[in-house]
Amino acid sequence: MIEKEVTIVNKAGMHTRPASAIVKIAARYKSDFYISKNNFQVNGKSIIGVMTLAAEQGSKLTLTFDGPDEVWFADEMIKFFENGFGEL
Amino acid sequence: MKDQLRNIKEIRKEFITVDFFYKECMNRFKIKKISGKDIPSKKVITDQDIHRPGLALSGYFDLFTYKKIQIFGNTEIEYLRKITREDRIKNLNKFFSYDVPCIIITDNNDAPPDLKELADKFNVPLFKTSYPTTKFSYFISDFLDDQFSSQIVLHGSFVDVYGIGLLFSGKSGIGKSEIALDLIERGHRLVADDVVVLSKKAETVLMGSGTSLVEHFMEIRGLGIIDVKSIFGIRSIRYQKRVEVIVELELWDQNRTYERTGLDHKNIKILDVDIEFIKLPIFPGKNITVIVEVIALNYLCKHYGYNAAQVFKKKLSRKIHENKLKEKDPRNIEQINRTIEYFEHDFE
Repeated sequence: MIEKEVTIVNKAGMHTRPASAIVKIAARYKSDFYISKNNFQVNGKSIIGVMTLAAEQGSKLTLTFDGPDEVWFADEMIKFFENGFGEL
Repeated sequence: MKDQLRNIKEIRKEFITVDFFYKECMNRFKIKKISGKDIPSKKVITDQDIHRPGLALSGYFDLFTYKKIQIFGNTEIEYLRKITREDRIKNLNKFFSYDVPCIIITDNNDAPPDLKELADKFNVPLFKTSYPTTKFSYFISDFLDDQFSSQIVLHGSFVDVYGIGLLFSGKSGIGKSEIALDLIERGHRLVADDVVVLSKKAETVLMGSGTSLVEHFMEIRGLGIIDVKSIFGIRSIRYQKRVEVIVELELWDQNRTYERTGLDHKNIKILDVDIEFIKLPIFPGKNITVIVEVIALNYLCKHYGYNAAQVFKKKLSRKIHENKLKEKDPRNIEQINRTIEYFEHDFE
């Protein structure tokens, strides 16, 4: 299991477009993927779940990856968060 | 399901503000604000119990649970009226030197002299209700119990099927939302999809609802986001439901054994509440919706005292017992008994 804290850096936050991109990346991997914000944890493979967090710029999220391909999965996803979902 | 539960953190509110408490409760429990000032935003309630400060008002402050909502019933009011002004002011000053969240006077009593002035001076909100103390305490306790209840957030779909709360869990993409949609189409009611918030109500009841952001929006893969309420109307939704059965969906696995009789009741503990747990194997072409409706109806039958698996078990035992007592046919021929021994003339 890999756990990593990330910060939302883009101005618009984790809105619909990034949320949809996140679940599309997640769907390509077998491992389970959870995102939590202030103890509120959702399944990172569900777009409704990801959007429920309504994460704004500056908020801190914990990403959890658990499964056979967690290393590659975590690598791609963390980069995507650090790049501000390509919106910087 | 068990994997999911292992990773989940329990959430519990640490406090509610007095302002929030007042807004939620003023109409519900007939509470009126009688202090002249606005409620200070830093006033919070951190304890789910309430306190009647009779002894404190008489000057005994050892073990005074000042963090609880302070209820002034007939006794407290009458006592404050009877004692001398000097004692009253002395005791109330001491009382207000503790950081009490708020005071509620019950039974439509008027505030005794000096109480309102001192409450205003110390910035403690003062309320009043027309309900008598016991009844009011019951209402408030239930409200606070709910506010401070343990909660978890689960990934799943939650539907009311014939009045039974069925919570579907399973891997992402297995078809939980599609089953929910199919059920809605057949007249059942959606509570929440994808993100389900479960709270413990009392000690033995688990309640579920969606989130205020998502309400009855759901995602259908390939389609996108839809709003169930606007498509199917008011009869297709509800905001809260008791969770009665958890149905875990998984792809049919040849190496697994699945429940065949229904005699071995399986339960799962969520927030320490026992919930019936059914593992349902799915494969293409299997009509899950109908099976799910039968799960709900069978649960209802059991609730009203008819357990099909048990009834059948008894029937079989009785038959075996009869066979044992029966004289054996020396020719060793076993007869199969039809439901109807004699087909009369109904041949169509």
